[in-house]
Amino acid sequence: MSTAPRPATDRYDVIVAGAGLAGSLVAKQLGDQGWRVLVLEAGTRTLDTWPGTLDAMNTYYAALAKVPNAPYRPNAAAPSPDVIDVQGLPEGGFRSNGYFVQNGALPYSSDYLRATGGSALHWMGLVPRMQPEDFTVRSAYGYGRDWPIGYADLESHYRTAERMMGAAGDAAEQAEAAGTPYPTGYVYPMHPVPPTYLDRVLAARLDGKPVREAPGAEETVLRVVTTPAARNSTPNEQYDAGRGHRPDGAAGLPNYGERCVGNSSCVPICPVQAKYNPLKTQTTWSHRVTLVTHAVVSRVLANGNGHVYGVEYQQYDDPAAPVHTTRTAEADIVVLAAHSIENARLLLASGLANSSDQVGRNLMDHPTLLTWGLLDHPVGPFRGPGSTSGMENFRTGPARRDRAPFRIEIANWGWTWSAGSPGSDVARLLGMGGGSAQPRGKGLFGPRLREELGRHVGRQFTLQFAMEQDAESRNRVTLDPAHRDRLGNLRPVITYDLSDRVKRGIAAAKDVSDQIFGLIGAEDHTSYAPGPFSAGWFRFEGRDFVFQGAGHGAGTHVMGDDPATSVVDQWQRTWDHPTLYAVGCGSMPSMGTANPSLTMAAMTLRSCEQIHRDLTELHRPRTLRSAPALQVAVAIPQQEGQS
Amino acid sequence: MDPAQSAPPPEHTEVPPEYPGFVDISVRLTGFDEFELRGTGMVRLYHDTTVEQVGTQAVSRFIDDLNAAGGDPDGLVDETSRDIARAITHLWYLGVWPQLSRSVHAALGRERANVAFVVSPESYTEGLAWRTFDAHPPGAKAPGHGSWSEPPAGAPAPGALRQTEDAA
Amino acid sequence: MTEPTVRREPPFRVPRDRADLHLFLQAALALEHLTIPPYLTAMYTLRPGTNRHAFYAIRGVVLEEMLHMTLVANLLNAVGGTPCVADPRFVTGYPALLPFSKEKVPIALRHFSVEALETFLYIERPDYVAEPPGHPSVADDDGWTSIGQFYNTIREGLVRLADELGERELFCGDPALQVGPRDFYNSGGEVLTVTDLDSALLALRVITEEGEGVSGTVFDSDDTLFGEAREPAHYFRFDEIRRQRSYGPLDTPATGPTGPAVDVRWGDAYPIDPAAKAAHYPPGSGVRLAADRFNEAYALLLCLLERAFTGEPAALQGAIPAMLELRDLAEQLYRNPHPDPARRAQGLYASPTYEVTTRHFDRARVAMPTP
Repeated sequence: MSTAPRPATDRYDVIVAGAGLAGSLVAKQLGDQGWRVLVLEAGTRTLDTWPGTLDAMNTYYAALAKVPNAPYRPNAAAPSPDVIDVQGLPEGGFRSNGYFVQNGALPYSSDYLRATGGSALHWMGLVPRMQPEDFTVRSAYGYGRDWPIGYADLESHYRTAERMMGAAGDAAEQAEAAGTPYPTGYVYPMHPVPPTYLDRVLAARLDGKPVREAPGAEETVLRVVTTPAARNSTPNEQYDAGRGHRPDGAAGLPNYGERCVGNSSCVPICPVQAKYNPLKTQTTWSHRVTLVTHAVVSRVLANGNGHVYGVEYQQYDDPAAPVHTTRTAEADIVVLAAHSIENARLLLASGLANSSDQVGRNLMDHPTLLTWGLLDHPVGPFRGPGSTSGMENFRTGPARRDRAPFRIEIANWGWTWSAGSPGSDVARLLGMGGGSAQPRGKGLFGPRLREELGRHVGRQFTLQFAMEQDAESRNRVTLDPAHRDRLGNLRPVITYDLSDRVKRGIAAAKDVSDQIFGLIGAEDHTSYAPGPFSAGWFRFEGRDFVFQGAGHGAGTHVMGDDPATSVVDQWQRTWDHPTLYAVGCGSMPSMGTANPSLTMAAMTLRSCEQIHRDLTELHRPRTLRSAPALQVAVAIPQQEGQS
Repeated sequence: MDPAQSAPPPEHTEVPPEYPGFVDISVRLTGFDEFELRGTGMVRLYHDTTVEQVGTQAVSRFIDDLNAAGGDPDGLVDETSRDIARAITHLWYLGVWPQLSRSVHAALGRERANVAFVVSPESYTEGLAWRTFDAHPPGAKAPGHGSWSEPPAGAPAPGALRQTEDAA
Repeated sequence: MTEPTVRREPPFRVPRDRADLHLFLQAALALEHLTIPPYLTAMYTLRPGTNRHAFYAIRGVVLEEMLHMTLVANLLNAVGGTPCVADPRFVTGYPALLPFSKEKVPIALRHFSVEALETFLYIERPDYVAEPPGHPSVADDDGWTSIGQFYNTIREGLVRLADELGERELFCGDPALQVGPRDFYNSGGEVLTVTDLDSALLALRVITEEGEGVSGTVFDSDDTLFGEAREPAHYFRFDEIRRQRSYGPLDTPATGPTGPAVDVRWGDAYPIDPAAKAAHYPPGSGVRLAADRFNEAYALLLCLLERAFTGEPAALQGAIPAMLELRDLAEQLYRNPHPDPARRAQGLYASPTYEVTTRHFDRARVAMPTP
């Protein structure tokens, strides 16, 4: 066997699986440092041109169900789960179709997107930081898992991520209301996105008002505060020691999207790309980064010693045809950045990194309770971003010992998520709310219809209570050879449930919601009954609830400080294979109540520093002792030197 | 050259049909006036969609029934005509042709699936529903940076919000 | 500001003093504004969902014209002038004549069409630019020959006056009047504040190079000036539509466009009467109400712009709802058949007329949001 190095063109320094948020950052950082990076993306790259974006807009306009994946064309070669894959049954329980196979007590009803840009094409764009206590939930509150690192280890990376993603926010307000520490004098690159009129109405009625989550519980004083968002707003001249910030506009169309213009469709697609998406980072990739799309990584390759040296991938041409070519690519370091569930799936399918038996386990989301009602005057729903403010009161504190903490988001798109408005309202007013099989009502027409619809929808609002979910080893992704996709890859089998502490958090949230509705004088229209759109229905302590998925899948290759009980170390490097990293939310041991993308970005940026150190070490010139007469220093990858 | 005199339409321009009858009926069904309905650019598409979905005979009967009711859709008694009224209104409000009631679908003997569909990408963005509450279709007709902070029509100014609360 | 400067073609000479310079810059403000209604007309007469390349190309140009207006206002404020835009004389009646040009080319409000594009190409034409008045090479000329010459003359006047009066004395305007990137955004290039000769000359360079291109090339200088993507200058972006082919990176004005084809459907536009007046629409009709409302909203927009240019830059934010109402009304008008049976029989549609009178301004001032 020849030990001569292969031609350089055949090898890369790093292979990144996935061109989403985490993968794009890895390629950016390592490419800028001079490493040759191959990015393999399972999906297509239609979206990274402006015509591709316009095609996605048209697909979205023409979609009957305007769900997060609606603008993005289905791809049988690299299927994505969809929120409409899960349907509730009339008497409770659920049925799941599509990419996931589900066998849990409750549905995992979050989706993701396998395409260039990834799920961050359809994310809401909220970027609050995690709170310091979120990293020590086991030691401080007795549940879930502790991180091997703390807030202080990530703080500078939070700032870098806020710069790279273009975050708008009010650091002083966050520090005060959410207790998030920032360096003295820190400002976000941009001023907060202006709060919605609804936020201002709620602030006027709630700020300074005390509530208790239960009789006898400690009192907390409500405050409506703006939420940091990776959404272009007015640049802050004080940012970066007075150097200010220039917003990044749309990828593919110059001079577009330098401010959010209120398209009110952050999820599923920002038409002007004022919201950060990874395509913006990709346009700044170094020429050393090679992106190959239509390339489904099917296996991570390791030699007999468990040394990871590359990946096997399936390249397809036509997403509709069950035809592909299998190829391999080699590199010194392999980074999986394909979404938490896909990373776990790949590790399981490759039989790697699982000496702890934790791969696929600890699946977490932010199970979300919605409450919805009508206010006494128009509040301007469906104008502006989906959420610009929230309430931070219940994110931590002693109650966390007993129940899941939660963050309250003020949702600005009426009852669109909770009840399918305004389409459902139009159908109801026309007498056709019961579907095609039910007898139809007379229906309203003409000016009466116009007025009644406006009067009703114009007063709609929803509150979203996002629960922290504790890491539980029973919530997991497994594989079953019986379930494969078009290219023969094993589909994720998901076993999911909510712990009683999450259910107690949901019950407490509903009690808080009742008080808020009382304080703002809202007419409560919340109802939780089994049905096709209530797959997340459950009964707890005699009360009915319905929870939704937040699209925040995490925990499936959990980070820890012990190889026996965790999959990756503090750098997101697998304990079992020093040249294999798994990055993303899958590494999170606990999620707190912050939307996770910013923390994922910060973790990833921190990992890039270690990957750079690893690569530098691998390339360190070494003395070849076999030729003592001629001391030659050559740069040669370490594993080839060993073989 | 006086540009005022130079307004011949291009040769290939066909004068489009206007469907005045369809517009009149739509005004009664939707509560929007002729200018607003034509302002969507959807008259022809919705006319054609309606004829294609239920057939000319049912459309004729629907028009007769509506005339017999004095032009008031509330006066429609025949369930088929009433369901056509619902469907046309639904189309205007959301850009979506809806499922007909199962019995009407059967009565019409339609040789097509009874499914809802968005008629075209533009029909979604031209939906009238959004106009009823001073908003815009998500993903189109963006209202401009920060405009969402201002009160919608019929709502108190932000400055008045706190005082209202204090007085209450 | 004295009234006569609102709309007067400046004399054929290099500005001699501050008052002269104010006159020239006010004329430049009117000139930059003059092109916006014709461009908006072409853009909003496109049938929804069609001609997307053309839509985004024209949109980009319109935004840059708005940037140019703002830069001229900054220049005028920097040299102690007062921009005037909320005045009936500021708004040209269409069809208008393109000022500062040798040939008398009418600028009309036309739907998206070959004729409209040819007018746009004329407006943005990267002509041979004559030297400023007084130069021996133009000794025989008795009037302006191009917009480029007019801007060159402003440049020359700024340089001379900075020399005569001293730079600090010339740029005596209140810096608080300058519109900066905080208030103006989402446009080609970036608005820059004008405080001295260097920034003044840079602002002039942005205005001329975004329109006509860097001499001898197809492209503007946004890449070197702003670190942005290099784009074809306005003339060449319009040329791409007219010739249905895009310019490649190596193309020059001499090669013409040799890049990929551009999909243009001339028939996918609502034809309108370029001489339409609101008075042509029957009183009380939906079309008439909308056309009147449009003119009021346009007056309101100009009032807000004037407020932004005369001491309250943040008022630009408040102009956005007015712009959106204009867009909504315009789109609705273009989709309504012309109420006049004869014109309707020709397949013509209604259109906004951009007629703004004192009456409209009076009403707009009442409707202005309180600062």
